[in-house]
Amino acid sequence: MSDHGTHSHGPVTRSGESADETLQHSIESEHGDHHAHGGLGKYLLVFLALCGLTTMSFFTYSPAWPWRDQPQVGWTFMMAVSCTKAMLVILFFMHVWWEANWKYVLTIPAAMMALFLAIMLIPDVGMRNRMVSQERALHMARGADLKVLEKASTEGPFAVQAH
Amino acid sequence: MHAHAASISPGHDDGHAGDDGHHGHVTLQYQPGLPLSRGKLIMWLFLSTEIMFFAALLGSYVVLRFGAPIWPKPHHVHLSEPIGAFNTFVLICSSVTVVLALEAARANKASLAKIWMLLTLLLGTLFLGVKGYEYSAKFSHGIYPAMPHSRIYERPDLYYGSAVRARLDELRKTPVGQVPSALRDPADAEAKSGDTVDLLQRLDAAPADRLSADQQTARTRLQQIQKIVMSADQQAFDMAVVADQVMPLPAEGADHGGGHGAHGLNDAFRWLRLPTVIPGGNMWASTYFLLTGFHAIHVAVGLLVFGIMCTWTLNAKRVGAIENIGLYWHFVDLVWIFLFPLMYLF
Repeated sequence: MSDHGTHSHGPVTRSGESADETLQHSIESEHGDHHAHGGLGKYLLVFLALCGLTTMSFFTYSPAWPWRDQPQVGWTFMMAVSCTKAMLVILFFMHVWWEANWKYVLTIPAAMMALFLAIMLIPDVGMRNRMVSQERALHMARGADLKVLEKASTEGPFAVQAH
Repeated sequence: MHAHAASISPGHDDGHAGDDGHHGHVTLQYQPGLPLSRGKLIMWLFLSTEIMFFAALLGSYVVLRFGAPIWPKPHHVHLSEPIGAFNTFVLICSSVTVVLALEAARANKASLAKIWMLLTLLLGTLFLGVKGYEYSAKFSHGIYPAMPHSRIYERPDLYYGSAVRARLDELRKTPVGQVPSALRDPADAEAKSGDTVDLLQRLDAAPADRLSADQQTARTRLQQIQKIVMSADQQAFDMAVVADQVMPLPAEGADHGGGHGAHGLNDAFRWLRLPTVIPGGNMWASTYFLLTGFHAIHVAVGLLVFGIMCTWTLNAKRVGAIENIGLYWHFVDLVWIFLFPLMYLF
């Protein structure tokens, strides 16, 4: 992997070559590269996979989805689908699959920082409603508000007219 | 890597012809730290900062959402999943076209690369257009990230009731210039610019043939709602009734209708613009506009670069540039891949 990367995307600073020669060389090497990457067929395959996966996210909405009363299952499933799609895009469209080992140096720390960043938000932001002032609680929407609105819709004075 | 390292040794600074002749392959004079071009290295460094930028936004969204006591369902805020899915499809297609532009440029087929590039530009513009349409649908329902444009109230309480009253008072003193065409009077033409019109009274007086059947029902409802909000003896439930009439929230089971089944007073008369109740709606609007807005800015920047590139000859000399903007574009696609389920399907 490492060797392949260094040759195909390697430094192009070569002494004793004119710009045209460099260009020619780069065309040739990229051409060889292209064969190594598997060409357009692979991109088409990735594209179809991405479309299929997007449709799969909608599967959680269908009556055939067995966990309709447990949204957490659907959310996990959709995130798994999204991660798969993201991996496909990163690996094939962004050519990371064929890159040398530097890819780990840039992507893994960034991904870990991203994860920590999100986790660090949990105590202050995610748990912000565990302890709130009375005034804030008074104006805060709760699940009960939605229930009242639904009740108004089905049992209110206009219910007969509305339905 | 090792091959490069070996080539750096004193005395190799000049004259490589001998080496080439000897080993039959090119020896490098200069060893950059990483086996990739500078432009690509910078692009990847930039993308790694972008990963953290969007991770912060997406992370905040997830944490805010699951820390909130209540969060609106997609249909409560007039989100349409098919439109979101269509936009996902558009972005995936544009990712493919940009990859094909790169491949064409690698093969030195400049005109083919130009076609793919133009197609990418077109798809990106389509994405922004659809996004703009979605935004305008939100705005027309009074969903804005902040006051004074936002008409979202969190609960159907007395504060909501007083906001409805305030809006009704405002409508009773509508400047002549702002009277909707359906309620315009021939006498309005002679009115002075400072004059005001009682729109509610005018609606009550409007002949039935100028209103549709829906609007006639809505007119009766509006009269009843005015009675409720003006009443001295208000119950908490009354405000919920008002909110449900102004803009009903589609019920749990009704999520197959695309959110168009429910029709409120604000839909019957666009000029009413009464305050609405969406529990959790304000936080939703803030996160929605922030996340999709930043994503849209990224799309717009990409389109700008694609537009510039469309004026170039996209031959093999431009492979590096196309690859770099391609990386950026795929990243923008990547962000949407997460935004779509988080925003539209959760």
